[in-house]
Amino acid sequence: MKLPLRELRRRPAQFVVATIVLAFLTTLLLFLGGLLDGLYLGSTGAIRAQQADAVVYSANARDSFLRSRITPDVRREVEAAAGVDAVGGIGFVLLGAQVPGESKLADVAVAGYELAPSGVSAPGADGTAVADSRLRAQGVSTGDRLLVGPAETPITVVGFVDDTGYLLQGSLWVNLATWREVQNANRPDAAVTAGVVQALVVRGTGDLPQAIDAATGGATRTLSRADAVLSLPGVKQQSDTFNQIISSTLVVALAVVGLFFSLLTIERTGLYGVLKAIGASSRRLFAGVVLQALIVAALAFAIGSTLAVAASAALAGKVPLQLTPERFVLTLTGVIVAAVVGSAISLRRVMRIDPASAIGSAS
Amino acid sequence: MFLALKEMRRAKLRFGLLAGAVGLLVFLILFQQALLGGLVTQFIGALKNQSGEVLVYNGQARKNLEGSIVLPDQAAAVAAVDGVAVAAPLGEATFTVTAGGGDEDAVIFGFELGQPGQPTTLVAGRLPRGPNEAVASEKDRDAGFGIGDVVQVQPDGVRITVVGLARDTNYSVAPVLFVDFSTYESAKRTRNPDATAILPSAIAITVDDGVTPAEVATRINASVPGVQALTRQEAVDGSPGVASVRSSFGIILALFYLVVPLVTGLFFLIVTFQKAPALTLLRAIGSPAKVLVRSLLVQVAAVVLLGSVLAFGLYAAALQGVKNLGVRVEILPVVLTALVVLALALLTSLVAIRRVLRLDPLAATTGAGVQV
Repeated sequence: MKLPLRELRRRPAQFVVATIVLAFLTTLLLFLGGLLDGLYLGSTGAIRAQQADAVVYSANARDSFLRSRITPDVRREVEAAAGVDAVGGIGFVLLGAQVPGESKLADVAVAGYELAPSGVSAPGADGTAVADSRLRAQGVSTGDRLLVGPAETPITVVGFVDDTGYLLQGSLWVNLATWREVQNANRPDAAVTAGVVQALVVRGTGDLPQAIDAATGGATRTLSRADAVLSLPGVKQQSDTFNQIISSTLVVALAVVGLFFSLLTIERTGLYGVLKAIGASSRRLFAGVVLQALIVAALAFAIGSTLAVAASAALAGKVPLQLTPERFVLTLTGVIVAAVVGSAISLRRVMRIDPASAIGSAS
Repeated sequence: MFLALKEMRRAKLRFGLLAGAVGLLVFLILFQQALLGGLVTQFIGALKNQSGEVLVYNGQARKNLEGSIVLPDQAAAVAAVDGVAVAAPLGEATFTVTAGGGDEDAVIFGFELGQPGQPTTLVAGRLPRGPNEAVASEKDRDAGFGIGDVVQVQPDGVRITVVGLARDTNYSVAPVLFVDFSTYESAKRTRNPDATAILPSAIAITVDDGVTPAEVATRINASVPGVQALTRQEAVDGSPGVASVRSSFGIILALFYLVVPLVTGLFFLIVTFQKAPALTLLRAIGSPAKVLVRSLLVQVAAVVLLGSVLAFGLYAAALQGVKNLGVRVEILPVVLTALVVLALALLTSLVAIRRVLRLDPLAATTGAGVQV
């Protein structure tokens, strides 16, 4: 194992270009993954945070909160369904909010609730809200009195909660009465009467979607929480598209490593012949190639990660980029696997080298 | 030339791997360029291809048509601004509709007939002449939005007959129906019977002769409180998601454009290094350096060409999977991308060329080893 390491130390220039190319590919992978995570986490936090097993929409809403309406009658039918333990109303309205001391409007999603999402306390007093922490970046602080929407409905922030964004806007968690007040004052075309909510979150056991939709006679469409997350506008399409691009980029990384080490192996054919002639096994030689590939990949990952972190800092607030530890681990794994598989392309060539070629060969 | 191509034929795996890698990278560039164009058009096509030269939103809407309502006193004040020729309400909202035998999402744009806000890219049929008629987005003609099809707003609401088709008029990646404003109001009341008022999402404006839309937008912003007037292009560029989609894809594409020539340059550098003894010998027996350089350039061009052909095949196949974005297979972007990649690849191969030019023919005769 000393020989490949010594070669890396003594002839680093030989590995520089491959390392740079792989580093750019790593940056690309992290950037793509970070965008996917940013879009996914920022859009779905409000639903992922629900401490519920199912979400109930009106049947013709096509799983859209903004188009769904659940009346008190339907709610009673849901509450009576088999397996249902607890039911809470929920509603969203997307608006701009004036923040004290800020000239730009903040993007907020006023979210009315009854069953508290994870990290949010039970519904508070009228006109108060727990804000999603992404609103801090838009100048919101505890105690601020925000003026929401064209009607400038006042909402006072009493605390913060992490990771509850809705469609890339910071949620303001308010009680249902406040949500109705905001909705009716700012969106008269979407006004709701007392008791009406957009959707229900349900805790319970058994096959809740089937039981609830049967109990309401088809007036509702019930999804598990996980399905409700995926049904948010664009979430599934974004995931599919980005995952395809990430997979293709990994294939390119694999091809780059394969190409590089194949060529390196061709170049060293004579040297390997000599090493084999003095007793080195194919296995040992190949292990050296893999070791070099791993070191190149690890170095490239370190450089690529630094570039991605720098890009993320430079673009803060401009693109929904979110680099998570899981994404780094996933990318490192992908790059390492690509390096090992790519370097394995050289295996056949290493195995085929004839030690006899070392005798009398000028190379 | 002969030597370059012969070498490629004899080392199929080596050059095939490189052409494959270049092909994949070029494919990713093409695919993402198509996605970017398709996504942006699908997000804001209806806004881009309507006749209002200036659009006035509520100041709180943050350039988001879906989040905007213009109050009656604001609409009246906008109409009175100097330079405004015609000001008319424009409504926009997403609905569940029955089309082609199933429930679908559809965005309905309501405009006053003959006024600003009507679609400008009609490719078949005619504009609506009265209530319950619509111009639909052409891309969705086979999904129940063709001429003569009847689309019903749910639950059990207004029935709208498609009388025309317009190109590139989708919005938020959904089918679009341009209807008269009363039909839009009816659809809104179907969706929410509790609605207390149906207000326009924006005011669409045509401007007087002799003034530009930008001047009129500036005047409106200066004189009418609580609104934000934008030229059509500003409205398109400022739509939610468009700027961030453009900058995100811009960075991704820039990285890809950086990686392709690096991969190509790396390959030819290594190949040149490996071939150094043979190249030195060729130089020693009288081959001029320019012949060797030309061979190298021919190989670079051939690899990029092969990769581009492969990329085009992958691109055409991949676009079948994203037909919902209305992306069409076009030759020109492929040719342009291939040319840019070729230029960059030739540029990075300069390092390999420099090594070829530094070969010393004498080294082949002295046995002192080959310096590259």
